Amino acid sequence: MSLRLGRHEFADDATLMMAIVNRTPDSFYDQGATWAEDKAFERVSLVVAQGAEMVDIGGIKAAPGVEIGAAEEKERVVDFVARVREAFPQLVISVDTWRAEVGGAVCEAGADVLNDAWGGADPELVDVAAQHGAAIICTHTGGATPRTRPYRVEYDDVVRSAIDDTVAYAERALAAGVAQESIVIDPAHDFGKNTFHSLELTRRLDEMVATGWPVLVSLSNKDFVGETLGLPVGERLTGTLAATAVCALAGARIYRVHEVVETRQTVDMVWTIAGRRPPQRAIRGLQ
Amino acid sequence: MTRVVLVPGALALLPSYGGLEDPVADLRAACLDAVRWLGADPRVVAGAQGATVATYLATEVSRLPSRLASSHLRTSASLAPQPSSDGVLFVANGSAKRTEKAPGHLDDRAMAFDDALRAALLAGDLGDLDEELARELWADVDSLVRLGQEIDVDPASVQVDYDDDPYGVQYWVMRMEGRWR
Repeated sequence: MSLRLGRHEFADDATLMMAIVNRTPDSFYDQGATWAEDKAFERVSLVVAQGAEMVDIGGIKAAPGVEIGAAEEKERVVDFVARVREAFPQLVISVDTWRAEVGGAVCEAGADVLNDAWGGADPELVDVAAQHGAAIICTHTGGATPRTRPYRVEYDDVVRSAIDDTVAYAERALAAGVAQESIVIDPAHDFGKNTFHSLELTRRLDEMVATGWPVLVSLSNKDFVGETLGLPVGERLTGTLAATAVCALAGARIYRVHEVVETRQTVDMVWTIAGRRPPQRAIRGLQ
Repeated sequence: MTRVVLVPGALALLPSYGGLEDPVADLRAACLDAVRWLGADPRVVAGAQGATVATYLATEVSRLPSRLASSHLRTSASLAPQPSSDGVLFVANGSAKRTEKAPGHLDDRAMAFDDALRAALLAGDLGDLDEELARELWADVDSLVRLGQEIDVDPASVQVDYDDDPYGVQYWVMRMEGRWR
C-alpha cells in the first residue's frame, strides 16, 4: 500500500528509515545525549545527511520514571518540531506521544505523523490525527499502561493479539477520519512483551504484513536483542540488524532506528534479495 | 544500399539485468540510436544471447519516442530514421580479455586483435578474420564472419558511434551501408 505521511507521499514499494531523536534526559540508548535542543537538532541534521526519510521525536522515555505531564512534554517537543519543520521541509516528522493534547500541538507545529507507542491509551489521539491530516502509528501493547514494564504477561498467541489489536486500532483511526494510506501498524517489540514474544513477532511478521496495513518495526537495540545475545546496550547493533533483516524479508515498510546507515544497507540488501528492489549497479558477468 | 548496424552483445543492456544505475548508459544510447537508423524490424544476425540483446534493442526503439532514445545522442543527429527497411543488425564484439579485471583476465594479444578487427570493420574488409584467435580471446565474431561473406560494405559509409572497453570487453557501435553479395 502506498503511504501518505502528512505532507509526504511514498511509493508502495518504498522503505523508510525513521531515525529516533530523543528530547529526553534519560532514554535507554543515548542516556540524554540529545537532551539539549541544539544537540537534538544536530542529531536531526546528521540523520538527514545519512538518508533518513523520517525522524521520530520523543519527549518522554518509554521506561518508568519521573512523571512528565502534558505541559512539560509539549515544552520539550513542540518548538523543536517547529524548528525542524522549518529547517527540513522534505523530512517526515513523527512525534512519539500517546497524548491527544500533545499530538494536536505538534501537528500545529508541523508534525506529519503521530507515533502512538502506547497503543491507543488516549482514545482521542486518532481524532487529532484526522483533524490535522496526520498519519498515525497503531501499536500493540497488549493493553499495557504507558511507561510500564511487562510483568508476567502471557498471550495465547501474541501474533494473533498483535494483529487483532493493531487492525482494530487502524479501523478505529479510519473511522475517525484518518486517511487509509496514512495508517501504519506496529507490533511494538518489547512493549507489553517478553523476549519470547518479541522473537515470535519477528519470526511471524509476515502475518502482520499480510493484513495489508503498512508495518513499522521498532527493533533498535531493544532488550529482546540484548537478552537473545546476552549483550548490553551498546553492543546490540549486529543483533538489531539480524532482526531487521528478518522483518525486511517479511515486508516491513518503516524501520525506527538509532543507526540509519547500517539499517538502510540491511533493508536495501534484503529488499533486493526479495526481488523488490534492483541492485544499485550490476555489471559483473554482464559485460 | 542496405543499412547495417553493429552492436555488442552485452547482457547489461537487457532490462532484466537493470539496476538503479545504468552501467552502460552511453553504450545503450548509442545502440538505440543506431538501431533506430536501421528502421523497423531489422534482420538480426547473432548468436542466441546476442539475438536476445538485438530483440530488446529493436523492441525498445519501436516503443520509445525518438526524443527519449536520442537523449544521449553524440554523433548522429543528422541521420534521419527510416520507417522500415531491409536493414541488418549484427551483434558482435571484440575481445573480453583486455584488462586484468576483464571477464577473461588480461591476454596480451587482445589489444592487437581488436585493433586489427577495428581496422577491418572500418575498411569493410572482414575476409581475414582469425576465428581461432577470436575464440581464445573471448571475442564474439561469428556474425562478423557472415557480414564479411554476405555484404559488400562501402568503407566510406562506415560511422563509429561507440568505441570503448569500459569493462574489459571491446564494444563497437557502428553503422555502415553495403550491398548483398
